[in-house]
Amino acid sequence: MSALNTRVSLLALACAFSSYSVMAEDSSLTNPNISAVLDGYYQTGDRPLAEREEGFGLGETELALSANIDDNFYGKITTVIESADGETELNLEEAFIQTLALPSGLSARAGRFLSDIGYLNNQHKHTDSFTERPAAYRAFLGNHYYDDGIRLSYVAPTDLYWTMGVEAFSGDSLRAADEHGDRDFDDVGVFTALTKIGGDIGVESSWQLGLSYLRNENGLAYAEEHEDEEEEVADEHEHSHSASYTGENTYIADFVYKWAPNGNYKYQNLTLSGEYFRVTDIFGEEPGHIDDGLDDHEISDDDYHEGWYLSSVYQFSPSCIRRCALWRSGYL
Amino acid sequence: MRINSKLLLAVAVMPLLFTATAKAELNVFACEAEYASLAKTLAPSADIYSATTAMQDPHQVQARPSLIAKMRQADLVVCAGADLEIGWLPMLQMKASNPKVKSTDEGLFFAADQVETLDKLASVERSMGDVHAKGNPHLHLDPERMLTIAQALSAKMIELDPQNSSEYQQSLADFSQRWQAKIPQWQEQAKGLAGKKVIAYHSSFRYLFNWAGIEQVADLEPKPGLAPTSSHLASLLTRAEQGDVMAVIVASYQDERGAKWLGERANLPVLMLPMSVGGNDQSKDLFSLYDSLFALLNGVK
Ligand SMILES: [Zn+2]
Repeated sequence: MSALNTRVSLLALACAFSSYSVMAEDSSLTNPNISAVLDGYYQTGDRPLAEREEGFGLGETELALSANIDDNFYGKITTVIESADGETELNLEEAFIQTLALPSGLSARAGRFLSDIGYLNNQHKHTDSFTERPAAYRAFLGNHYYDDGIRLSYVAPTDLYWTMGVEAFSGDSLRAADEHGDRDFDDVGVFTALTKIGGDIGVESSWQLGLSYLRNENGLAYAEEHEDEEEEVADEHEHSHSASYTGENTYIADFVYKWAPNGNYKYQNLTLSGEYFRVTDIFGEEPGHIDDGLDDHEISDDDYHEGWYLSSVYQFSPSCIRRCALWRSGYL
Repeated sequence: MRINSKLLLAVAVMPLLFTATAKAELNVFACEAEYASLAKTLAPSADIYSATTAMQDPHQVQARPSLIAKMRQADLVVCAGADLEIGWLPMLQMKASNPKVKSTDEGLFFAADQVETLDKLASVERSMGDVHAKGNPHLHLDPERMLTIAQALSAKMIELDPQNSSEYQQSLADFSQRWQAKIPQWQEQAKGLAGKKVIAYHSSFRYLFNWAGIEQVADLEPKPGLAPTSSHLASLLTRAEQGDVMAVIVASYQDERGAKWLGERANLPVLMLPMSVGGNDQSKDLFSLYDSLFALLNGVK
């Protein structure tokens, strides 16, 4: 097994320097919602698999266009300009349409979008409380997992919130390392199933629990290649959207608890959240591999990666509405 | 044979009747407490849920799981509109996957669509803050506008649930009669307030002030949506020293600290007014909310 070794960084400050959005409840193709976010940050301490350096910096610039195409469909396009290690790259993170009028709590989404697994993954990075995603996200999902695919979701007609979803993705960014570039990967490589439940506790608190499963047909690293993998990953400090650790099966359990005095989020609020990742079936034999008994490595079914984080964020806003001072008390 | 088949038909229809009556209650999701209260008055047997209380800022609401679950089951969603809920309502609608409440052609109702809003803006720039470009959406504190909204909401309920139209018509007639009887009383109470000047937080009481002839000469917010800064408070103190301001006013969901700072230095009373039903002990419905507002404003010495 290889548990992620992460250091604790005590304080992270993040404040959006500028954000701009034009939104309307009655958006249409001729009058789409436009939002742009410039993400400036200040970071203390260095973190593993981190792409940001200490001190001030400019993170992502996000430009999003969204609109109701007609009564039945909603569409969104999000492009992100990232600067990391002195390089700038432009990524199309979202380009999808979603149904608005399917009956009985059903909805479908197709195109490129953020997977709904876990708690943080479906949120845009600029809404994060911390300047970087938790190490588990950076290691197992390449920061946040967006991909080309389809999703079907269902919300139950119950007072306790209960949603279920299944997704299928190309899975390119979650493929296992392929040193020689000769591996035959599945075109539809990732399938997910997820469920979330949630509700309120009185007027001031709310909670949500989630369980997700991700099947990665291309996640198995072939035995030959795994020996120097860990070393490689430990040194990795560069910008990447690909997962550093892969496996066939990923299980995620997540929770979030939010509190605000009187349930009024304007002036102060507290968010406690945590996620646990377990990635199993990480090494396998190459198809056609004949065990001649001479290999000196062993493949064990017990091999797995795991990672987790806990975070607590206290927001107060005498002058900055979004997130000015954020206190990270536990991040492991 | 003939009797038998009639009996069979009656037996077969019975469960249908039961399901019809059991389903008759309209399931209403209100974005704010004032519209939950209005819906309750206009549809006493409806199942009504309010997404926010008078202690919560309706500009900033978490699209939390319980709200998605409630919207999923709603037949009718009643909100202020004019983009007051822009930060959370569209997200809730998308997550709830309830096609019944996705458009105002169906089970979505915006109060602001029924009346003329004040302070519409021709153009909006980011430097102006979180302004309300479609006009001020805090329109439930104008008695005349509220009556128009009640009529439109009742019509929407009848449209969605025609079987119970007589109940809705009766409730609206009751409400209108009681409300119209109250308006002259409130006018009487507003007389002494006309021409008075106040400093208030945000444009929350714009319609009440407009109706009562009160003038808000300054805002505790330096820009809409921003909390009071010390330099801004200092400028308000200078304004207050002109001596013509009656009171500093904040709503039940707003932070009192800036107002208190100003009140102490300018020697002005600070009034915490209920923003909606439930904003203080007296405000149990729309009638007592208005009564309480005028009582508090008239209580300033
Ligand atoms: Zn407002």
